[in-house]
Amino acid sequence: MTLLSDTRYVFIRYMRKLVRNPILLFFSLFQPILFLALFTQLLGRLSNFPGVLPVGVSYLEFAAAGILLQNAFGSALQSGNSIVADIDSGFLHKMLVTPMSRPAILLGRLASDAFRVVVQTAIILALAYGIGAAENSPFTVNTGVIGILLIFFTIAFFGLAWSGISLALGMKTRSAETVFAIGGVITFPLLFLSSALLPINFLPGWVQTVSKFNPVSYAVDACRVLMINGYDWGTILPAWGVIGLVAVITLGATLYQFRKVVS
Amino acid sequence: MSDIITVKNLVEVYSDGTKAVDDISFSVAEGEFFGFLGPNGAGKSTTIKILTTLLRKTSGTVTVAGFDVEKQAAAIRRIIGVQSQDTTVDGDLTGRENIMLQGHFHQMKTDEIKKRVNELLKLVGLEEAAEKRARNYSGGMKKRLDLATALVHKPKILFLDEPTTGLDPQSRSAIWTYLEKLNREEGITIFLTTQYLEEADKLCKRLSIIDKGKIVASGSPAELKREIGADSIRISLENCKKDNAKAKELIKTLNDVNEIIDSEECLTVFAKNAGLLIADIVRALDSSDIRIASVTFSSPSLDDVFIKHTGKRIRTEELVKAPSAMLGGRR
Repeated sequence: MTLLSDTRYVFIRYMRKLVRNPILLFFSLFQPILFLALFTQLLGRLSNFPGVLPVGVSYLEFAAAGILLQNAFGSALQSGNSIVADIDSGFLHKMLVTPMSRPAILLGRLASDAFRVVVQTAIILALAYGIGAAENSPFTVNTGVIGILLIFFTIAFFGLAWSGISLALGMKTRSAETVFAIGGVITFPLLFLSSALLPINFLPGWVQTVSKFNPVSYAVDACRVLMINGYDWGTILPAWGVIGLVAVITLGATLYQFRKVVS
Repeated sequence: MSDIITVKNLVEVYSDGTKAVDDISFSVAEGEFFGFLGPNGAGKSTTIKILTTLLRKTSGTVTVAGFDVEKQAAAIRRIIGVQSQDTTVDGDLTGRENIMLQGHFHQMKTDEIKKRVNELLKLVGLEEAAEKRARNYSGGMKKRLDLATALVHKPKILFLDEPTTGLDPQSRSAIWTYLEKLNREEGITIFLTTQYLEEADKLCKRLSIIDKGKIVASGSPAELKREIGADSIRISLENCKKDNAKAKELIKTLNDVNEIIDSEECLTVFAKNAGLLIADIVRALDSSDIRIASVTFSSPSLDDVFIKHTGKRIRTEELVKAPSAMLGGRR
């Protein structure tokens, strides 16, 4: 049981660090709000053109899922910075000279990432609801509370898979700047070459092809059907499968790098 | 007393081929205050990392409290306390939280930790600052807090890697007081590395001088100094590059000179009755038109021991760091 209690203390440490860094906390919360406001304002008129969005769907409803994913990306990339900071400061070594469970060091960090992204997701959904009400085009999650929980799960799962990339990069390069540079370069194409922010049939042919192989599209589609359509398991389960596959690869790389750092 | 740390033929070669530790052997008795004295890059930190299970050795045998450092690492981690060279307190947590967290990492019960934290805060004189975030502590306070976190689980052996590097003299002597108290009153075995001669001299009952990965001398400070068996005169010349060699030859011809070591910036002359020799040296150099910048005379010190065994003076480099600013920029 030391794994669980050790994970808990690592988790608490990271939550304290987050809450006590007002700037970090502010941007963690502000970023999703900014994205939502920006994209719905920029592209909101798309729903005026017939045939672009599904009938009766506002751009807000359409894009909410994509913005959830974009936010998850941003948060996941910070995970690598935290491990770089702990390596640089020697705090990692301080943990390693104690008998604490080794996996707990990673699990505690991942748990804090997941928790944070769920809170951010809740904020985005609440805000989307507010904007929808204000603009008289209601935003709701059609599948209700259970649907919202499934969205939380999907986003957190996706966030963890993506934390794996930044953690592995952080431990490999020991440089927060590199994590951000590489992370940014990977993130943007993946987001824009997917169904996240624009309807798939609205995109050029080659983008549509890329999008089919893009894990982001799967995760977005799963959240989107839960909001707009219902429990479309034919979309949701494959998404979890794809995210699981990404997680195996990225967290595998993380574990590999972690073993190198630890031994 | 039995040996609590034994190291035999320890070698550490880094992946880039650097031989950080080159076949060293030593042992530390239970309850002893033992030190590694050497300059930066001598292999002190590498040895501590191996002893504290952080780094795998290339070859050799290392046991701590009878446990093999690699096969029984988990057992060792329960009984050692470690203060690394970098001060590793979490600036976002308060002093109290830092110690609590370390107690949890040692899987202690919460009640037990709470009691222990109060004792430790008192020991290191941080009771008043306990609820403040460690970010706002001075360098000396952070080091003291770091020491307290290393003591939370009442370790049998305390490893300190340059515990006072970069501290002002006042903070340094405060740390010295705690360390002596811990060793004397609680019987904790202490293994300390330092680049400060004064620190090794004051604290360590026994020490090894380490340079370029090798142990060059071992013994109590008094023994090591006695080995020299001579006082020393240190002469700095105005133009040492040009005149050192010539001056060395001149001084060699004088009576009673045991040994002269040329460590570039100065000449160190070892002699039985060095005081009487000063006038002769000055006269000899003066008559050859070699200008002297300074002459110092001293009874044997660890500095002399170091010069005798390595042919150079120990270089103390003060590390100027701003860790909190660095972390801040990273977030």
